[in-house]
Amino acid sequence: MSDEEPVVRVAGIGKSFGGAVALRDVSLELYPGEIHALMGMNGAGKSTLVKILSGAQNPGAGHLEIGGGVQGQLTARRARRLGIATVPQRRELVMTLTVAENIMLGDLPARGSLVRWRSARETARQALRELGIDIDVDVEAGALTVAEQTMVEVAREVRRGSRVLILDEPTACLGAEAAAQIHTLVKNLRDSGVAVVFISHHIGEVLALADRVTVLRDGAVVWAGLAKETDEPGLVRAMVGRDVVSTRPDKPVRRGGTGLRIAGVTEGRFVEDFTVEVRKGEVVAVLGPAGDAQSRLFDLLSGRRRPERGELEVDGRRVPFGRVSRSLGSGLRCVTGDRRRLGLIPELTVDENLLLARDRLDRRKLHRWDLLSRRAAPLRHDYRVVTLAPNPPVGLLSGGNQQKVLLAKWLGTAPVACLLEDPTNGVDIAAMADIHALVDGLAADGVAVLLASSDAKEVMRLADRVVCVRDGRMIAEYDIASITHDELVAVALGGALS
Amino acid sequence: MTTTVVGPAPVTAVTKRRRTIAHAGLLAVLVLIVVFASVRTDAFLSTNNLLNVLRQVSVVAVIAAGLTLLMTAGGMDFSLGGNVAVTTAVAAQMFAHGQSTWLTLLASIALATTIGLVNGVVVTFTKVAPFVATLATATLLDGVALLIINGLSVSIDDQLAGLGNGKTLGLPNLVFVAALVLLVIALIMRYTTFGRDAFAIGGNEDVARLSGINVARDKLILYGFAGALAGLAGIMLLSRLGASSPGTGGLQLQLTAVAAVVIGGTSLAGGKGTVFGTVLGVLLLGLVANVLNLLQISSYYQTISVGAVLLIAAIANTLQRRRA
Repeated sequence: MSDEEPVVRVAGIGKSFGGAVALRDVSLELYPGEIHALMGMNGAGKSTLVKILSGAQNPGAGHLEIGGGVQGQLTARRARRLGIATVPQRRELVMTLTVAENIMLGDLPARGSLVRWRSARETARQALRELGIDIDVDVEAGALTVAEQTMVEVAREVRRGSRVLILDEPTACLGAEAAAQIHTLVKNLRDSGVAVVFISHHIGEVLALADRVTVLRDGAVVWAGLAKETDEPGLVRAMVGRDVVSTRPDKPVRRGGTGLRIAGVTEGRFVEDFTVEVRKGEVVAVLGPAGDAQSRLFDLLSGRRRPERGELEVDGRRVPFGRVSRSLGSGLRCVTGDRRRLGLIPELTVDENLLLARDRLDRRKLHRWDLLSRRAAPLRHDYRVVTLAPNPPVGLLSGGNQQKVLLAKWLGTAPVACLLEDPTNGVDIAAMADIHALVDGLAADGVAVLLASSDAKEVMRLADRVVCVRDGRMIAEYDIASITHDELVAVALGGALS
Repeated sequence: MTTTVVGPAPVTAVTKRRRTIAHAGLLAVLVLIVVFASVRTDAFLSTNNLLNVLRQVSVVAVIAAGLTLLMTAGGMDFSLGGNVAVTTAVAAQMFAHGQSTWLTLLASIALATTIGLVNGVVVTFTKVAPFVATLATATLLDGVALLIINGLSVSIDDQLAGLGNGKTLGLPNLVFVAALVLLVIALIMRYTTFGRDAFAIGGNEDVARLSGINVARDKLILYGFAGALAGLAGIMLLSRLGASSPGTGGLQLQLTAVAAVVIGGTSLAGGKGTVFGTVLGVLLLGLVANVLNLLQISSYYQTISVGAVLLIAAIANTLQRRRA
């Protein structure tokens, strides 16, 4: 592998914005046919490094060698011509065009000004086949799953002749099965000689997939080497700078009555006859592939959508479906896994977002700015929301901090029961441990917690009981003490345990 | 620590600086126009002319105030000008038929509120895009207004003259009404939960609904309120003109109000807006029209200038957002 010449060499790069140092003296080499994982916490400098590699920003110090030649000013266009492509976290496909058109975007084969559709489809099909991807090229991109969209985007970049492909958290928000598809794709890319930069928060994934790992912390490289030379605790220590342990607390079994009861809920083919009971002080997880039944629970329980059949009870009282106000009034709090679309209002400040729900529940009529920060302060403290500016718009915070604001917004309102959908979605490992501790605390306070998740590891860490769902149906239910992580993964992936 | 080391601080600093510049830019343009006008024509700085400008912009200011709040919540009402036309027509006919002042005022503002509410109901419960729905009602209302006055000018003699031409402490009464409305809206937007709801709804309607905000009720109130203020503006306009004629109010007035709000920096997509910006926008358009008038430039060019100012302001707003 490494006896070849690196296709990209980054030497002693530094970058600062105003007074804040984003990168200092960062060096790394990317080799063809190698998967190079880039790790670090939210704000460690990963995105700045990616921007420099893709020509979107210029380094303040150091230099860049691409294909052996030293690059002076790198622009986005030149980076692309030199074969460096980035697949960002947010998909950049034209959702109303077909897969074929997306792959051939800007490069449709034509005779004169007439598009040669047959050739376009054939080329697109070929590009997908070479990467071992099986997707119909005549489907609209918007109809694909997130994993498939990532694949189409990768195929497009490879067809354009990319030799270096930067994948920014391609498996975030994906279930195990979809993530496995991406892993296969990444391996195929490596085998075809592409240098892959793989950014991920999932340590297990990185250790299983990557050949080489570079860890950034506070803008500097703190660890670099072969993946086989390190292990999970080592990477955590490198990323966080200390040991992070998120282990199950020894909870005394002190459960109350039923806090949340869902019975016989059916909604189309997404959820069929779903029934679960959560006692106060208990954490029950609903585990399934991303996008399966557990992802529908938010819409149903929050009152956004009415199921065809079924009953909901909170604290022993019947709650009608389909009304947000009734759901909130019952003491049920639903925390979305999609904070951008359903969680926070990016233009409003951190403090206003923190109190957005509570002030409405309290029927506060006046908006007292002088009291706002004082009332938000305990929430910021308890949920460890860290901001540099005193009270910036929430859209400017890192993902982990936004997630904590979202949790604080809902869980600071004295819930009786709550639904948490992927509560550690896109956050780094230290924030994840913080959030796990928060969920423990919630249960200890006697809240009935329903956890909708696609992550078996998180379920093992947080839940007392787990309900596995697949294709909208419940397939198994276990006490967490009676099942191991591997067994749980096997069930979640492949049907009932044999 | 979990904090972002490089992200937030510089970005915030940039946006904050830009925002101050944005209003400063508008103020600078206003000052330039004033300087230019006072050099070119003596008539401009005369007390009479300035008071006249204020009297003229008062009507637009009242419409624009309601529209600022509505647009901040992501709404839009293109029929406020049509609403003014109908209100003036109805009020003029009621006066002409000898109805009492109070009954006329009450009836016309109630009518205007109802028209606003109808728009609100259509927009909220059918999910038709506000732009489309209210453009349709705007056309409809313009026709209704002509029908009511039968295409003729209906005079109200000197009824409402106290409002339209009276002065208190040397300032036109209309200016006091407008200032009061602007102040109330500004206070609502900043210091009441209802006003903050508007920002939340404009920022992300789904999040607002899930946070326990009664979005449907708020929207109805906002459309009804915008309609009521259009009714008030209609009464003010009638009191100033002394008659309702074909073409009073209507789309021209509507466009001026929208232009003023947009120039003031309120986002067409919702989630952002200030009354102060709207005041500056109203004054800017009023002064430009007045200066062109004093310089005896054809009224065709005046229409062109409103369009040009709006286009430039819209581009400036978009550029600013893209950079921030």
